[in-house]
Amino acid sequence: MAKWGMVIDLDKCTGCQACTTACAMENNTLPGESWQDVLFYHQGKYPSAQMKWLPRPCMQCENPSCVHVCPTRATYKDMDAGGIVFVDWNKCIGCKYCMIACPYGVRFYADEKPLLEPDLRDIFPGSNGQLWSPPYQNPEQDWKRGIGIQPAGVVSKCTFCYHKVSKAPAGTPDLDEDIPELKEYVPACVRTCAPKARFFGDLDNPESQVNRLIGDKHGVRLKDHTGNKPQVYYLGAGAGVPAFEPKPRS
Amino acid sequence: MNQENIIKGPAGLGLLALSAIVLLASFGYAITSLSSQGHAAFNATSTVPWGQPIATYLYFALASSGLGLIASLPLVFGFRKFYPVVKRCIFLAFIILISGMAVLALELGNVFRMLWVIPLNLQIQSAMFWMGVFYLVDLVFLLWKFQKMDAGEWDSKTSKQVGIGSFLAVLLASGNLALIFGMMSMRPFWFDGLLPIYFYLTAVASGLAALVFFTYLAHGFSRDNMSAPLRNLLEGALPKFFGAVLGGTLLFIAVRAITGMYSNNPEIHLVWSEYLFASPVYQASLWLGILLPFVLMLMSSLRTLAGTQVLVAILVFGGLFAERFFFVVGGQVIPLFKGTWEWDILSYTPSATEWSLTVMGSAMLFTLWVLGERLLNLSAMPPETVMRGNADEAAATAHS
Repeated sequence: MAKWGMVIDLDKCTGCQACTTACAMENNTLPGESWQDVLFYHQGKYPSAQMKWLPRPCMQCENPSCVHVCPTRATYKDMDAGGIVFVDWNKCIGCKYCMIACPYGVRFYADEKPLLEPDLRDIFPGSNGQLWSPPYQNPEQDWKRGIGIQPAGVVSKCTFCYHKVSKAPAGTPDLDEDIPELKEYVPACVRTCAPKARFFGDLDNPESQVNRLIGDKHGVRLKDHTGNKPQVYYLGAGAGVPAFEPKPRS
Repeated sequence: MNQENIIKGPAGLGLLALSAIVLLASFGYAITSLSSQGHAAFNATSTVPWGQPIATYLYFALASSGLGLIASLPLVFGFRKFYPVVKRCIFLAFIILISGMAVLALELGNVFRMLWVIPLNLQIQSAMFWMGVFYLVDLVFLLWKFQKMDAGEWDSKTSKQVGIGSFLAVLLASGNLALIFGMMSMRPFWFDGLLPIYFYLTAVASGLAALVFFTYLAHGFSRDNMSAPLRNLLEGALPKFFGAVLGGTLLFIAVRAITGMYSNNPEIHLVWSEYLFASPVYQASLWLGILLPFVLMLMSSLRTLAGTQVLVAILVFGGLFAERFFFVVGGQVIPLFKGTWEWDILSYTPSATEWSLTVMGSAMLFTLWVLGERLLNLSAMPPETVMRGNADEAAATAHS
């Protein structure tokens, strides 16, 4: 079985947020429920001030702290699904301990105050157990893996678009949107990336492009000191998050 | 023995009616909000997922553990002077835990699902799994211990064994509750292997506050209505013990604050400098809710007065509730992995629904307590304690 991994080249990423939009469209997430987000930072001061950005999906960690803390095994790492970390919405009790334990802040509890008004949940009220039911939605539903639109009271997160990835031919080293016969299996954020800053492939396959990129271009994992060991690697300058600074007090 | 308990009279009926009305009103408000808006009725968000309901649960669960630990003073360690309050302690521990669990139940996304997914999946790696196990065992032991006391079995072998079992269950439950926070290395403000010790100390402090307040309330805030052994305890060992526990709590807060402020890690020192010490509410809770009661309990002329003890109990209620709130929220206010993406530390103020859960838990506690005082004999103690107390008092009167 493959071990799916993602490589994001920050030297190519333009911060356009097409990945964020594609993810939201593919997975019908609510505003603020950004399974895939691009975070923008400023660092330093004039004349050496920098503006940086960092695309941030779920890291699908090899040693995920969210899985260890979940009291019901609703959050689990599925080695038969490429090592992707899923949330079983049939088991999640909404205790939010996984959100506390995730060092990357990539888990969402959409049953909260809306980020934007009007609240889409009021415009498209949920039916069939869904938290909200937009008229156009991805027909793929697999609540055992947290795919589709979630019910109320559960945690949601990026699934590496498992509903697409799982249909790829076995043994495929890389899911590259430039290969016509594979493009339907490529995660939405990777497929839509205009500057081709994202790569998706099998970290266990020595022939995969993702492994070559990590090796040749010194791929790094963020917050590696936590021991969570992400399956997402970053290339290029700026692979780091500046320390938080509070707003200057008057 | 219980004729002096004012709760058994019309005052108790009035308090029962009042607390039941508040309980129904707050529960009704919370349920209406939750069923119409879901958890959008809370101000907790994906960035600050644990808010006031969790802090309330923590406060109640630890107050219960504190009362359990106080009850173990006579039952496990032989401090017989505490016998006059042991039955009330155990009963309060039970109902406070039940009230806290009711608040937690309304905080969870899918509470009833918990009943089968936790036992069927046995995720023993999760501290939250063990929290469920240990507090369930704690509840069973509290009930069992209470039943033994109620049957007049104060010193039997079984009673002692149940007492020891209950003591261990309390230690495991509250220690494990501390580790739910203390094991989170990705939340440096909480990450602390000694957190269980801090929780034990503050648990006993909040337990003592509850015990003092409810004991005085049961007796109409007058020591004349109390039995001699209970009066002796409130004039002697208990206020000294209360003072010592508050001193330990202050020491622990000081050590955490000093190491936190000294740290370069913004996820620790900014929590102290920009959130806790920047908040007038936190400042007030610290100085008025913990330091002032400590000073009052240090003064030998004041600590034995009924009015001082009730005031200290009320101040500690507020002080430690705020301590729990700022502890829970403080671990989340520095945005995770967001760096300078966030303009400032995250803000969180409880919504009306979240407040209604806190009120509901408190009203539930009052309602159950009044029922307990009216239907059970919570002032019961071993006959030899009564005789010794009466003899001590007679000797003191003759001496004066």
